[in-house]
Amino acid sequence: MRMVSVKRGVSQNLGFAIAVLLLLALYLTYNMMHPRGFSSAVAIQNSNETVAIAFVAMAQTLPVLLGGLDLSVGAVMTLTNCVASEFLHGSPAQILLGMGLTLLTGTLFGLMNGCIVVYGRIQPIIATLATGAIAIGLALLIRPEPGGNVDGDLGWALTNSVWDFADTYGLAQGGDAWWLRPFADIPVPFLLVVFVAIVVWVPFRRSVTGRTVYAIGSAEGAAYMSGLPINRAKIAAFTLGGFLAACGGLYLAIQTSSGNADIQQAGAYTLNSIAAVVLGGTSLLGGTGGAIGSLVGAMILRVISFYFRILDIDPLLQPLIEGLVLLAAVSFGAFRTLRVKNQLDLFR
Amino acid sequence: MKTLLKLTTAVSAFVLSANMALAGPEVVSGPGADPECFAPWSETTKFFKWDAKPAPYRIAVVNGFVGNTWRIQMIKTAKAYAEDPSIKDKIKEFKVVSTGTDAPAQLGAIEDFINQGYDAIITIAVSPEGFDRVIRLADKNNVVIVPFDNVLDTDKVMQVNEDQLAMGRAYSTHVLKELAAIGKTSGKVLEVRGLAGNSVDRDRSIGINEVLDESGGNWERVSVVGNWDDGTAQKVVADAIAVHGEFDAVLAQGGTTGVVQALLDAEHPMIPVSGEAENGFRKLMAENSDKGLKGISIGQSPGLVAISMKAAISALEGNVMPQLISVPLPMATYDELEDGKNYWSDLPDNFFTVNEFPPCGVNISGPAIMSQSEEDVK
Repeated sequence: MRMVSVKRGVSQNLGFAIAVLLLLALYLTYNMMHPRGFSSAVAIQNSNETVAIAFVAMAQTLPVLLGGLDLSVGAVMTLTNCVASEFLHGSPAQILLGMGLTLLTGTLFGLMNGCIVVYGRIQPIIATLATGAIAIGLALLIRPEPGGNVDGDLGWALTNSVWDFADTYGLAQGGDAWWLRPFADIPVPFLLVVFVAIVVWVPFRRSVTGRTVYAIGSAEGAAYMSGLPINRAKIAAFTLGGFLAACGGLYLAIQTSSGNADIQQAGAYTLNSIAAVVLGGTSLLGGTGGAIGSLVGAMILRVISFYFRILDIDPLLQPLIEGLVLLAAVSFGAFRTLRVKNQLDLFR
Repeated sequence: MKTLLKLTTAVSAFVLSANMALAGPEVVSGPGADPECFAPWSETTKFFKWDAKPAPYRIAVVNGFVGNTWRIQMIKTAKAYAEDPSIKDKIKEFKVVSTGTDAPAQLGAIEDFINQGYDAIITIAVSPEGFDRVIRLADKNNVVIVPFDNVLDTDKVMQVNEDQLAMGRAYSTHVLKELAAIGKTSGKVLEVRGLAGNSVDRDRSIGINEVLDESGGNWERVSVVGNWDDGTAQKVVADAIAVHGEFDAVLAQGGTTGVVQALLDAEHPMIPVSGEAENGFRKLMAENSDKGLKGISIGQSPGLVAISMKAAISALEGNVMPQLISVPLPMATYDELEDGKNYWSDLPDNFFTVNEFPPCGVNISGPAIMSQSEEDVK
């Protein structure tokens, strides 16, 4: 009985299952080849590098589930990064307030995106192309030159292992408490991503609004006829996307202790977020997939580039190889289209 | 219990700070090693000394953006220099990665190389800020980080660059000297600026205008923006000639092949021109210098990567090094040009000619770089 349900679970989430297997294979091989593989230091470095793109990929998932694309996620990350670089200093209360303001900025921006799409009746891809430019403009206004003032202890504590976190803030006997031992080597950034995924994404997916997002992606007409709250779900999806992009921007500010209104970086994050979403098994047509898959997709994207540091590959060939591996990885998910007897099966 | 908590916190904080204080380079007084090559930026520049490590070393170059001629040539130069007999035996492993304009990826790559136990990491920073964490880690692990070209706003790492202000001043100084030689001490000059908002553009322009101001001559100045790009520069110079008529000199800071091409196309009389170190500019200057194109070519060299590598090795050997190294400006005036020596008529126009720094023993010629094949990275 159990076997059957597992089997069904896998077959219904084939893209996700393949992504997880691919990630495991790539990451274990990487660690075996790395001179200090399977150590806390490597895990900390890897997760630090992955956090921003992971959050942005999760943010991108929601509009994609609706059947659209959000071209402003990278720009919102950049905007919130610049906002955070202004506020993350002072007393702990001030820092917390600054974090709140940062997340609020992204959330409001997402809400604005949602309202433009729903009430302005503009295609998401066009609406967010425009609002993305607005976000970059605001970011440049806040921070014309890279810089900022982010609390050093905060940066150190959140970009290291749990032990360093406890040690920096003198919690749990400076990190040496017996009950902290089992978790001491886990990277804090990894826990942050998992925390947001479980506390924000999972409840959303289970709510009526969340299920409506999936319904809109598979058949908007049917969802409407079933009396589902279409507008509410669309606005909620963009708002949550803005919140998740802001999480990425906030972490970027903590990681780099600064803000930088880098237009090219914003564009690169938007494009990579779409790649991560597809790698994680979410269909660009909408209706299937999820943010956890995109999280895995973002990790795969990053692990591919990790290999360039342990293998001898010509620097000028690296972008080409990265592209080929990416294409191969995305094609894995498309294999099922070759097996179907009837093309209509694809739309189930 | 509470006092115990406080006590342990205090002790661990003390241990941690003691740890931090011991790690990283020691600030010492100068002079540094090989001052001909590793010239300190100014009189107030600090000097660093790392604990000597036995050779050979593992060195990585972490580039950001890749995709213009300068960056590609920089990567090829790095590979060619790693094979140079003078340092080949001191390098055990050499790796180059480009992360694109992605700050977390660049920081991650640097941290990864620290974890892998590399001894030195050379980088062109994608942002002048945000490296605090990797600098802290590098100091903890006694790794030498050397940002060059786009340097960081910090004095905690050893950095390598050319003095852009001095470059701007040298552009103007030469052009004014040539104009004085034909009896002109005032007139109309065209300034072709670079990418707006960039500190390099700002500093070069300040230098250019300072010298014009100091000369005391009455210079009418026209300023256009050429973005250091041949196509853009050619267009804006052609427009400027159409609008303002003849100029007595052009003070360009990049895209110089396009600048001269615009002068030729408009059949403008040949005048002194200052510019970057593009091969095309030097070719045109060699052809037209007798007609009056008595210019000067100074450039930001992709060969800075080689000097950064040399500086990193010198630091690892335990030598005293300046915190900010000013690389001598590689300049060539119209009468110093020699085909096959400081320009190459058989190489493309967008090739950057300045690669050699004789005071540093960095002598990789243009053809040597271009012949670096794609396969032989080891």
